[in-house]
Amino acid sequence: MNKIDNAIKTIHHMDYQANYNTYFKKIHPFVKLLTTIIYIILLTSINKYHLVTTLAMSIYLILISIIGDVSIKNAIKNLKAVLLLLGILGIANPILETNVITYIGIIPVTIGMISMFTLLLKGIFAILASYFLILTTSIEEICFALKMTHMPNILITVVMLIYRYMIVFLKEVQRIWVAYQMRAPKQKGVQYKAWGSLIGSLMLRSIDRAQTVYESMELRGFHPDTFFIPKEKVDKKSWTYCFFILILLIILRFIPIFEIIGNICI
Amino acid sequence: MIELKEVSFSYNGSKRQTLSHMDFKIEEGESVGIIGANGAGKSTILKLLVGLELNYQGSIMINHLKVEKKNLQEIRQKIGYVFQDSDSQLFMPTVYEDVAFAPRNYGFSKEQVDKRTTQALKSIGIEELQDRQIYRLSGGEKKLASIATVLSMKPDILIFDEPTIALDPRNRRRFINILNSLNGTKIVTSHDLDLIYDTCDRTILIADRKMIFDGDTKTILQNNDLLESNGLELPLSLQKRER
Repeated sequence: MNKIDNAIKTIHHMDYQANYNTYFKKIHPFVKLLTTIIYIILLTSINKYHLVTTLAMSIYLILISIIGDVSIKNAIKNLKAVLLLLGILGIANPILETNVITYIGIIPVTIGMISMFTLLLKGIFAILASYFLILTTSIEEICFALKMTHMPNILITVVMLIYRYMIVFLKEVQRIWVAYQMRAPKQKGVQYKAWGSLIGSLMLRSIDRAQTVYESMELRGFHPDTFFIPKEKVDKKSWTYCFFILILLIILRFIPIFEIIGNICI
Repeated sequence: MIELKEVSFSYNGSKRQTLSHMDFKIEEGESVGIIGANGAGKSTILKLLVGLELNYQGSIMINHLKVEKKNLQEIRQKIGYVFQDSDSQLFMPTVYEDVAFAPRNYGFSKEQVDKRTTQALKSIGIEELQDRQIYRLSGGEKKLASIATVLSMKPDILIFDEPTIALDPRNRRRFINILNSLNGTKIVTSHDLDLIYDTCDRTILIADRKMIFDGDTKTILQNNDLLESNGLELPLSLQKRER
């Protein structure tokens, strides 16, 4: 129950944060989407043994967290389940690639460990970049930006409604769960015999509610053909931001800045 | 002006008619209550008026426009529909964003959207809630915010579906005062006959899919026999007087 409650609160908080007025909010959503996509493409293009280059890409995330007023700590806290999954996915690498390349004290560092950490970091950074985009841009703005990429209206509508549907679905789960627990206080979890009917009624109820929400949107003028037409053009400030971010990303990706800094220091 | 002529309707896949031969006319500026027992078809009438259901027989005209697919956008711009469940009505993160949703959709400029939103919030006295997150609102605040979301459209016709459900007495009274202060045509469906008594000049009683009575609110709500025979009771305020 608390977990569902927390999930609902987190989504609401993300929604609220996305509409919070910061300097970053004034950047056009298309530019934010574009820079995020380019960041992820450049990040995923890094060789799996280039740990240092991957680490350098974190500078972009730190910059976004500062100008977007987003806490990296909270982001990692909210994404811990996904991050854990990423850790599990890369766990086979140290077993498969056992060549030792160096030692930290007496601990051998294998090439498999490097590739595991690189893959893990790449996954974490890509998810954090998307998460930061959602935290700093409302779902409607992301939809406007998607429209500017000429994505079909039907797909953009699906993206928006899935996001809205998540809250409706979680609220229905919460209601059904409370109703169940009130009548089965001694049980831990849901009895397997009740799973079928609970899932059935959950689906029917959440579809029904999602339909009402959509009707409410329609009655207030929502139509995919007109709704997703971007209301503002990309302004000079946003293009300037885009230019500097692209320069930064190219530097981080293709110039070994950590090595250069290291050599200068030595 | 709203006009229903010989309107019959059944939901998709159902053989049973939900409404049968409904016939009434609502003039501009009227406040009309629609009452009836559970399942009488009150909410269905409202859905038909805004074109959420189009598969009806007969004719429904809103300001001389027939309720059909090609006229829906124009009709919906004239009607503000306040849902029974505020959670279904409010889906944006903050009150301001939700109230601004309709004017933005209708293509108003940023300044116009802001002006309409602020006016709507002010007209029902909830300006202080504009930056509040929807999920942090109480039931009463949600209802008031729901009304603001349709007032920002500046509709000619306001429709309220069971508006006092889940409102405490103080919020209910506040809602009644707001409702009475609003201009334009108003249609209210409710089981709360005291609400109808306080806000509507005219009442339509429906039962068993048909219109049973259409006339002065006081006449019908004081007629105990008529109400009881159609699954309703006298308003509580009148019951006390009787004792």
